Amino acid sequence: MMKRNGTGWLFASPYLLYAVIFFAIPLIWSMYLSFTDWNLISPVYYFKGFDNFIEAVKHPGVQAAFFVTFKFMAAFVPMVIVSSLAVALVIHGLPRFKGLFLIGFFLPYLASGVVSSLIVKGLLSHNSAFNVFLRKFGIEIDWLSTPLSALLVVAAIIAWKFTGYYALILTAGFESINKDVYEAAAIDGVTPSQRFWKITLPLLYPAIFTVLILSIGVSFGIFTEVYQLTGGGPNYATNTWQMEIFKQAFTNLSAGYASAVAIIASVVTFASILVIRKLLEMWGKRNGWV
Amino acid sequence: MVGSKKGLTFRYVIAFALLIVMVFPYLYMVMNSFADWTQVDKKVVPTEFTIRSYEWLFSGGEAGIARPWLKAFLNSVIVSTASTALMMVTGAMVAFALAKMNFRGRDFINNAVLFQMFFPAIILLIPTFLIIQNAGLYDTYTAMILPKAMSLWAVFMYTNFFRAIPDTFIEAAKLDGASNFQILYKIVMPMSKSITTVVFLFLFMERWTELLWDMIVVRSDSMLTLNVLLSQMFGPYGGYPGPMYAASVLLTVPIIILFLFFSKQFKEGMQFTLK
Repeated sequence: MMKRNGTGWLFASPYLLYAVIFFAIPLIWSMYLSFTDWNLISPVYYFKGFDNFIEAVKHPGVQAAFFVTFKFMAAFVPMVIVSSLAVALVIHGLPRFKGLFLIGFFLPYLASGVVSSLIVKGLLSHNSAFNVFLRKFGIEIDWLSTPLSALLVVAAIIAWKFTGYYALILTAGFESINKDVYEAAAIDGVTPSQRFWKITLPLLYPAIFTVLILSIGVSFGIFTEVYQLTGGGPNYATNTWQMEIFKQAFTNLSAGYASAVAIIASVVTFASILVIRKLLEMWGKRNGWV
Repeated sequence: MVGSKKGLTFRYVIAFALLIVMVFPYLYMVMNSFADWTQVDKKVVPTEFTIRSYEWLFSGGEAGIARPWLKAFLNSVIVSTASTALMMVTGAMVAFALAKMNFRGRDFINNAVLFQMFFPAIILLIPTFLIIQNAGLYDTYTAMILPKAMSLWAVFMYTNFFRAIPDTFIEAAKLDGASNFQILYKIVMPMSKSITTVVFLFLFMERWTELLWDMIVVRSDSMLTLNVLLSQMFGPYGGYPGPMYAASVLLTVPIIILFLFFSKQFKEGMQFTLK
């Protein structure tokens, strides 16, 4: 028995090493730094107690990050749910071209955020065909310099990226629905819209729940697209947590302060996901979906 | 939904329309990488084509200093391959212990993996950077590879898959005197080909397109990955959209080829992961 214990730990040892070096130590270090004024370079630094946290809560960048995440969620989650549901609704159970659809709709997921940002920047540039077309109707929008549209553009890029992936999850959900239910409903003379809202949606809810949780998780980790396209601007309108922490730590070199921001961000993220998850479960239960 | 023949045709039309919308940005990227520079970003479908963007990319443009494109491409390949290989080896090992070995502390490790998986990773960014810097690894391949030598997601996926493999296979191999490493390498892994493809593609794709970490730990031009180099081009080289599209094509094509190459196994593997 001793020996088996040994090999078990041996096989698990990569995780133990990883957990100590890249999780436990950074976690404690981060907490320690958050109470200091260290600037990432100087050998001398002082304890500031809770000053970093107080400063952070008052800082417009941090306040923006808090609200931007939820605004972003409010835009991105419905976008990606509707688009992936549309894709799944159309392609599920189609007898031919399955492989083509699988690969085709999955392609956006493979694009680096840098590449998709570049393409979108091109499509929305001042003299792009799209903007020239809009100008014919007297519509002139500086997409990335207007707070609301900048946020929506970033949300749309990420929705584009995840649509195919989530559509796959939803397609699997569709295929697990027993076809007899529909036949029984057809005999009862159910209209197509009733069929969707009263039968398909409730039965699909477990898959939708998965997609909701995944997409909400995504909302808390946005960096690349924002970094490339807006740098968090205009006026903090797209300033995500990651963007704020990156700016404070590696541009302003305030490592101590940035650590405090990171701790606040983590607590907010963890608590938000927990609460949202609970609410979604309650909502599903109340409707009798789960 | 049991559709009529007409309904089916209608759904195919919509499906292909949606597909074109989804893939359009890629087509736009490829067309613009070959477009005449006066037309880049000005036309939805360029009418004049040239390979000037690619020439510019590899010759270094007006400045005449060849940007380290090929080196960056090579760096991306080295870093992504090494990272992904390590993530798969460590992932399968740990998952094997969690799914198929009985030892004291297993439940604890299992819970720790799940906890860490859902832990917001952003809090770890600065100290992880400091660990790498203090270990003298700043600006090296190791700095890009080591912190990404393990994926908890891979552990999670493999653990779920391994649990579905009947214990009888493993017991039988044990009776024949096979060691745990042999069982993992010769029996369990060959049975897990489809899931391995999925894990490999997802990990490689994520590693290949990583920006934040690679951007922080590397400074020299010769160490940059392709993704970071392209990101830097957004700034000072922003006036050359043509070459930027060409660079994007370079960054995107390998991953698509890889994906198409494994598409059959990917399809099978995805079916398992979505259950």
